[in-house]
Amino acid sequence: MYIKISNLNFKYKNADKPTILDFTFNISKGEVVSIFGQSGSGKSTILRLLAGLETPKKGTIEIDDKVMVDDNVFVLPEKRGVGMVFQDYALFPHMTVEENIKFGLTKMSKSEKKIRVDEVLNLVGMKEFKSRYPHELSGGQQQRIALARAIAPKPSLLLLDEPFSNLDADLQWKIRQDLKEILEKAGITSIFVTHDKEDSLAIADKVVVLEKGEIIKIGKANQIFKDN
Amino acid sequence: MFIIKSYKHKKDVNDLFKLRDIKTNVNMWSVLSFVVIVLIILPTLNISLKLLNETSENWPHIKEYLLIDYIINTATIVAFGGAFTMIIGTSLAWLITAFKFPMSKFFKWSLLLPLAVPPYVAGFTYHGILNYTGVIQTFLRNNTNINVNQSLFNIMNHKGAIFILTLVLYPYVFAIVRSFLAKQSADLIENSRVLGKSPMATFFKVVLPISRPAIVGGVSLVILEILNEYGLFNYFGISTFSVAIFRTWFGLSDLDSAIRLAAIVMIMVLMILLLEKLMRGRKRYSYTSSKIRPIQPIELKGIKRILATLYCSVIFGFGFLIPTIQLLHWALLTYREILNVKFLGYLYNSLRVTTIATVIIVVISILIANYARIKENILTKIYTRITILGYSIPGAVIAVAVMIFFIDIDNNTYVIRQAISHNSTRLFLSTSLVMLIFAYVIRFLGIGYNSIESGFDKIGKGYFEASRLLGMSVTKTFFKVDLPMIKPAIISGFILVFIDILKELPLTMILRTFNFHTLATKAYQYANDEMIHQAAISSLLIIFISAAMIFVLNMNMSKGGRKNVYKNK
Ligand SMILES: Nc1ncnc2c1ncn2[C@@H]1O[C@H](COP(=O)(O)OP(=O)(O)OP(=O)(O)O)[C@@H](O)[C@H]1O
Ligand SMILES: [Mg+2]
Repeated sequence: MYIKISNLNFKYKNADKPTILDFTFNISKGEVVSIFGQSGSGKSTILRLLAGLETPKKGTIEIDDKVMVDDNVFVLPEKRGVGMVFQDYALFPHMTVEENIKFGLTKMSKSEKKIRVDEVLNLVGMKEFKSRYPHELSGGQQQRIALARAIAPKPSLLLLDEPFSNLDADLQWKIRQDLKEILEKAGITSIFVTHDKEDSLAIADKVVVLEKGEIIKIGKANQIFKDN
Repeated sequence: MFIIKSYKHKKDVNDLFKLRDIKTNVNMWSVLSFVVIVLIILPTLNISLKLLNETSENWPHIKEYLLIDYIINTATIVAFGGAFTMIIGTSLAWLITAFKFPMSKFFKWSLLLPLAVPPYVAGFTYHGILNYTGVIQTFLRNNTNINVNQSLFNIMNHKGAIFILTLVLYPYVFAIVRSFLAKQSADLIENSRVLGKSPMATFFKVVLPISRPAIVGGVSLVILEILNEYGLFNYFGISTFSVAIFRTWFGLSDLDSAIRLAAIVMIMVLMILLLEKLMRGRKRYSYTSSKIRPIQPIELKGIKRILATLYCSVIFGFGFLIPTIQLLHWALLTYREILNVKFLGYLYNSLRVTTIATVIIVVISILIANYARIKENILTKIYTRITILGYSIPGAVIAVAVMIFFIDIDNNTYVIRQAISHNSTRLFLSTSLVMLIFAYVIRFLGIGYNSIESGFDKIGKGYFEASRLLGMSVTKTFFKVDLPMIKPAIISGFILVFIDILKELPLTMILRTFNFHTLATKAYQYANDEMIHQAAISSLLIIFISAAMIFVLNMNMSKGGRKNVYKNK
């Protein structure tokens, strides 16, 4: 298995109940997985643990046979090769679209960077917006740039936290289709969080249903949602 | 049940010492923060230990006869000064926020200007205006037959001190309450209006109660400033604690009693801080969301327009304009005598020590604020507390602590230094400006820290986390992402600290090296030697530099307010 998560346990410092309980789950390379659950069920927390933004109390995470975290090891977020698209995008306001995307391309030469920026901008269909600043873009456009920025360094795992939540309904449908295509083209193993069935059905190969920090169901999207 | 519990406890202890956590927690930011924090608390710990020393022969006398005086003097001035600054600061803040009247735009920032006037400067200037040879009495004598009652014109007493302190310290309340009101929603006031309340009733029933935390915060700052004040009280001959600490230490050479007095002041300070916490109520400054409709000022009509302008003019006049004009006049009388190479030296000294200390403070503030934001735990909460503690400690107390600390260091390192070089002297650090700058840093770190912390608060953690996931380390993230975004906060912090250090007196007087003068010490020395006119130019320079910086600060803040693109959760 490409990604192995076993027995993950976590509690926020000021919370009195555990936020994540014995989370165990494996993902194969190239799979798109959706974590589905109600608000407060711990979806974002799982992503933060995978990214290294939080440290689990117990459990291990391995990516491509490398231990990211266990009792003795903690790989810093910047060393994990995990990309993330945040719920509010977090595009750096003082940098243009191009600078935002180049930001993560640290190990490339100048010309390589240029090529890569064009590649990912093409992928998300935003080539002509290269020199805009984030606040000069619409919500949907910002979202695409955030996606492009996360994909650009070729992460081994891409995390998306409610990628559609800030968009209105029409746009959601269109971007959903686009995202599916983009993820397929890029061939990146991805996990995205949602509380919308349609999202899971449309994009995910596999769905994990989370309730109060515990997995209650795992399976193919159409199986999970077929009975209700 | 019990067994399960204790088992769980044991496991938690093991969790605390995981190898991975030690590895990930030791980095440049944590180590440097730790070192700085230790340096900050060492002098205070050192002096606290000395409280255990035997009392000197003076102490019973001080305790019996003088202490009660110190307490009454300090308490009276604190009570009245606090009350008056509260009334003036709050009313002005509301006036400027809610109404438009002639010159209201100008007053919005110029009412902050009295902050540029050091209390001792205001003190001797008003004394100079009012005394027998001053402009008022001279004018009356020459043009009328009025023979004034001298006691009415004597400002060098409790009432005068309260008058002066109110005029130069109300801006603390004004600034904090105004920026609090600017963040409140217009709905609040309009609802009250719709319910048929008059503007007056709205102010007392709605505005005052919601602004309580801000008012209490501002007044606490005023009180701490009064406790810190030395120059004004010494010049007026009023024995407050700060003055008493100096006298006992330098007049009686009784360090142990000075330390005891300092300890009493610290108890008072802690009580005030506690009281502040209680009076603020449960809610602290509430950061309402960015999408509020701020209160729109409405045009005042008729006589009210004039009264509003008049009120602001009177405060601005007494707090800034009148003393400045008087000083300008004296400056014209004395510039030939005063402005020389030596004077340029004082100016250079002032700018040099102030800049060095301010830069150090800003750097330390950034270091600790960034570390505290990345690692939110008990340790960093303690760090934050310690960082801002210095601002509540009066200068006289810090001066005692720092000087003893440095003399102790010098004595303890003498042998080592002797071994390295034969001509090292016993006193080394304690006769250098390092000591003064160190004391400035402890005393004013809190001001820089608050400003920079609020800058970090504003941008949130989202950008930081995004940058980490794009492969940047904490340090690289800081330089590429955080630093450009908190620039306005850094500028504000720098300016606020700079102004405070430029006019600082008690620390500079005690801890300066031999023959080292700043604008502040020189102004004070002249005034104390009954050469008020000669004190004018140094005073004016302090006022002008500070006023210019307040102007820049105001521009910087209103720019930051408009640019809300950086807002993130
Ligand atoms: N920083 C924090 N400190 C304490 N508790 C937190 C923190 N962040 C989240 N929680 C709590 O942890 C639980 C899980 O939160 P999480 O953000 O993972 O939920 P979520 O499934 O992503 O919800 P949503 O769909 O609303 O985004 C919630 O009960 C939340 O209140
Ligand atoms: Mg979430």
